[in-house]
Amino acid sequence: MSASTSNHSAQHQLVLELPSDTAFLPSAAAAAENAAQVFGLDRNGALRLALAVEEFFAYLCRHAGREEPIRLTLSDGGTLTRADFRFRAGEVSLRALNFAASVDMDSGEDAELGLLVAARTTDRCGLTRSGPDVFHVSAEVDRAYPEAEPQSAPQHLTAPLRLEPAPASGVVQHAALLAAGRYPARLRPHSFSRPARFADMVATGQYQVLLALDTVGRPAGLICWRNSGRRAVVFSGPYVFDPALAQDTARLLTEGFLARVARTEALCAFSERPTEDLPHGWFEALGSLTLHGAPDGGDDGKGEAQPVDQPAFFRHLREDAGAAVWAHPDLFPFLRREYDRLAFSRDLLAAEPTAPARLPAHSLLATTLDRLRGLAVLRPMLDGRDFEANLKAHVEAIREQDMRDILLHLDLAEPWQGALFPALSACGFAPRLVLPHAGDSDILVCQHAPVHS
Amino acid sequence: MPPSIAELVPEYIRAFEAYTPSRPDPVLMRQYGVDHLHRLNNNENALGPPPAARKVIEAFESMRSAIYPSGDSYALRTVLAERFGKDPERFLVGNGSCEVIASVIKAFCEKGDNIITADKTFAVYEWVAEFSGFEARLIPLNNWGFDPDAMLAAMDSRTKILFVCNPNNPTGTWWDRDTMERFLRGVGGRAIVVIDEAYCEYVDDERFPDGMELMERHKNVVVFRTFSKMYALAGLRVGYVCGQKEVVDYIRRTHIVYSVNAMGQPAAAAALMDDAEHIAATRLMVAEAKGLLLPAFDELGLNYVSNAGNFVMVETPASDSLIYRQLMRRGIMVRTMTGFRFPNWIRISTVQLPVMQDFLAAFREVLAVVGGDPA
Ligand SMILES: Cc1ncc(COP(=O)(O)O)c(C=O)c1O
Repeated sequence: MSASTSNHSAQHQLVLELPSDTAFLPSAAAAAENAAQVFGLDRNGALRLALAVEEFFAYLCRHAGREEPIRLTLSDGGTLTRADFRFRAGEVSLRALNFAASVDMDSGEDAELGLLVAARTTDRCGLTRSGPDVFHVSAEVDRAYPEAEPQSAPQHLTAPLRLEPAPASGVVQHAALLAAGRYPARLRPHSFSRPARFADMVATGQYQVLLALDTVGRPAGLICWRNSGRRAVVFSGPYVFDPALAQDTARLLTEGFLARVARTEALCAFSERPTEDLPHGWFEALGSLTLHGAPDGGDDGKGEAQPVDQPAFFRHLREDAGAAVWAHPDLFPFLRREYDRLAFSRDLLAAEPTAPARLPAHSLLATTLDRLRGLAVLRPMLDGRDFEANLKAHVEAIREQDMRDILLHLDLAEPWQGALFPALSACGFAPRLVLPHAGDSDILVCQHAPVHS
Repeated sequence: MPPSIAELVPEYIRAFEAYTPSRPDPVLMRQYGVDHLHRLNNNENALGPPPAARKVIEAFESMRSAIYPSGDSYALRTVLAERFGKDPERFLVGNGSCEVIASVIKAFCEKGDNIITADKTFAVYEWVAEFSGFEARLIPLNNWGFDPDAMLAAMDSRTKILFVCNPNNPTGTWWDRDTMERFLRGVGGRAIVVIDEAYCEYVDDERFPDGMELMERHKNVVVFRTFSKMYALAGLRVGYVCGQKEVVDYIRRTHIVYSVNAMGQPAAAAALMDDAEHIAATRLMVAEAKGLLLPAFDELGLNYVSNAGNFVMVETPASDSLIYRQLMRRGIMVRTMTGFRFPNWIRISTVQLPVMQDFLAAFREVLAVVGGDPA
């Protein structure tokens, strides 16, 4: 553990307003490279971000509205540098924002554009929306951190245990390595094997962490979580270090975690990777996803040979007030079964596809790509006559990027999204999970049928 | 380029999740597919208001709605003054005692100050403090009760208010006179001590300390009381604070006038003047309900906490929110306790026996359904 953790109490930001004119391309790229280095990326990382910024900017100059400047925000995320372009788009140019649109548009010179290039040179990128016609494309490059050896020596700790809500960086790093030594990679954040990175993520608030310590202050267990949207927290763990104290440790951590999030704005807690130590009866099983992971196993270097069934668990932090959800009638059997099993009161409203004549020509899908996890998540942003073709093109383009797991999220608060199901089905997506209140209403997670190689 | 509406909103407001009260009964009943709903979630008094208060409510003439109420609840304060033998100026009436919580915090706290209370108690003290930018120091309960020594140890020069919920919602525990006296001597007038006595009328024990009396010897004591619980006027929103005149004068400066409505004021006054039989009948109802529930919980092998107040808490073998949804499907509404930092506990308001029997029947069914739930 030689890497020093940085103390980012005040996060830095560099903001540029650029006319949408490719003459300013060098300004954007130079700003990105310089900021990334100031924010702690090494030269290679800074160049990767600068390259993505250059691509994005050229791309936006071609396709975004021209009347207004494009705002580039470069920000220091502690363990990463983020470049965010905010721009306004008119309907005509929206099509170009599709991840896959570039594959077949403007035939010839623009065969590979924007997000595709960014997907290769950055660690995460995506499209989001902050107003009716205000969009953001962003890309992130992570700081390089050294890998450390997991610690698997058995721990013999002395009860009673206590919770430490604000552990020092060194203790967090030690606990992360203990967890890495006792749990397989898929059950823990990647950063556990780069503990300085994990500690920095905690220091900058990307992760919250709670440790259990024994009578002499040795780490006995860890649970960590982060916000997912405005209303949900996603946790990993609990990780316990002394099997003899497993039950007490897990219960203490889980209770402490729930006490911390219980009076926040979060409505529910989900787990992406619950361990077997999760106390019995405290969470509800939502179902599972079949995940293949990145072909090269992300930064662990150990890919998952076999696909794993990843169960999802959740619990509410308040009473459920009930809700109405919109869905195509083809989805009703799945939803009825799930809502009944989980005892959720939902009014199922039938959402029929909009008549083609009333739809714009082009749809828009937002894609986020996580190279480390080999995972792409699609979210429909605008309906259009070409939706099904557009989705197919996205799936193909994502597969070409070597992303093996493709999910699609439908927010069932939106009738038009619920109505898209037949098109998803035609493209090979099947409904897998309902995430209660994860969006404006419940989110339906669909998964693309994995390709068999 | 002009910002979108979302971009105009400050970050801390965007992040702020407004408290979502439960939906109206007809909506909930339709959603959960039931034809009745027993509300056992808010510790309301199912007997309804005392007879004199009912008369006032029934006789309320609609034309009086056109007229502003007394801005400072003048007549009600006079009745309170007579009842407790104090100057009317020492009472400040609010739109429920929740409103006066905010007034007290605003009056005494400035940037950098803190308040002290328990981690597992009524949430509003903590919420108001944190959303106003003041630190809330949350002291773990000790053996289900407020921990006086740990609260004293947490005090520093920036501690302005200590909130003691006596009896505590949701555990029903209370400090006796000796404990309270020792605590107040420990505070030694260095900060305001709020004693929230929302459930005091449910306690029938001479060791229970009367805040109205304590404040005569400890000038920093402020008492909250409400007409929402024992007096069954929750829908009219009337609560009040009482303290030394100087203290109340400061609180009044931050308090909104005209916040208490024209029907609530006389109804509350009438309720006070005719409460002996009502209190006795309510206490009997609560005792009978607990007499039914507690042995049943024992028989089911469930942990429970039942002390003073018209509620009991019981630990459930599954997530409290799952139990809630399952009970709702059977027409029973309870309170989930995760928000009180008791995950996997529910709180049940104690009401008439037939409803308690309905609750138990539904609860037994639900336990059978969720019994085999994995994880
Ligand atoms: C301890 C405590 N204080 C205060 C209140 C608030 O009562 P109101 O605002 O209705 O007067 C409640 C209600 O649940 C309570 O439990």
